[in-house]
Amino acid sequence: MGRAIVITSGKGGVGKTTTTCNLGAAMAQLGASVVLVDADIGLRNLDVVMGLENRIVYHVVDVVQGKCTVQKALIKDRRLENLWLLPASQTDDKDAVTPGDMRKLIAELKANHNYVLIDCPAGIEQGFKNAIAAADEAIVVATPEVSSIRDADRVVGLLAAQSISTRLIVNRISSHLVKKGDMLSQADVIEILALDMLGAVPLDEHVVASTNKGMPAVLEGKSLAAREFTRIARRLVGLDVETVRETGGGFFTRLTRALGLSSAPAA
Amino acid sequence: MWNLFRSKQSSREVAKGRLHLVLAHDRVGLEGGKLQEMRREIAAVISKYVPIDLDAVEVQIETKSRATELKVSSPLPARTSP
Repeated sequence: MGRAIVITSGKGGVGKTTTTCNLGAAMAQLGASVVLVDADIGLRNLDVVMGLENRIVYHVVDVVQGKCTVQKALIKDRRLENLWLLPASQTDDKDAVTPGDMRKLIAELKANHNYVLIDCPAGIEQGFKNAIAAADEAIVVATPEVSSIRDADRVVGLLAAQSISTRLIVNRISSHLVKKGDMLSQADVIEILALDMLGAVPLDEHVVASTNKGMPAVLEGKSLAAREFTRIARRLVGLDVETVRETGGGFFTRLTRALGLSSAPAA
Repeated sequence: MWNLFRSKQSSREVAKGRLHLVLAHDRVGLEGGKLQEMRREIAAVISKYVPIDLDAVEVQIETKSRATELKVSSPLPARTSP
């Protein structure tokens, strides 16, 4: 039986889809069998970020409506042994799928794969409710900005109300700006949101280039962002539990220890 | 040059302060108007027992970790009768 992890944020444009793509690819590289589900019905994007847009035949709404089996709708990523994508529909709207449909669909995927990563749409309406309905746990992605953190906090509250355990990824952090005093540090974000942190992905232009090409950054070598995505993937599959990397000097290390982030994550 | 910037709060600190305030209110779901209404009612209740300056009563919502608390402060005058 696999685990379903929803990747969500509240605010759009903070890197949910890029995070889903890279974590999925990195987890598959580590040997796990992974399915990525695009839950953004009507505005699908995970297919283009993955570079699989030309291979779509069926999508999630076809499966829900019984037009094809889940297996038939899955697109196998040819670059990796055990990575699949279940694309969203581009023409239907959010109401085409219910939370009940999602629970049934994800249960079927979990029966045959180690991990199901669900890429949640922005917002907190129907699409969000569908995406979290079948999740065993959640990853909230936030950039170190006031608006992103505010929306993340709303989502954290909604996930807590559903008793879904939640961890944080801070995305697009610039150690240069943090040192200058012009960006919130990862420690600041942890303190404000009071969440366990999985990792902090640095602002990295390699990700822009990878996304242009439809190639997960983790498959393109050792850029800073790719290394952090791989490190987070290792934590998720339970391979190791090293401390969150520092960007701000010794104080941060002490803080993460004080917050208990050095210890093993809950199973 | 250094001193010129030193006295100023960094934008990072400003962001933190703004977030603490915004999140405290978001988490409780109390908009500004409702909070003022509550402040006036609390002040009225206190004044039933102690003569106070109604406008000096302050309410604040603060949040630490994921716990949120309401802080009410009011200067109380010393009694005048024996």
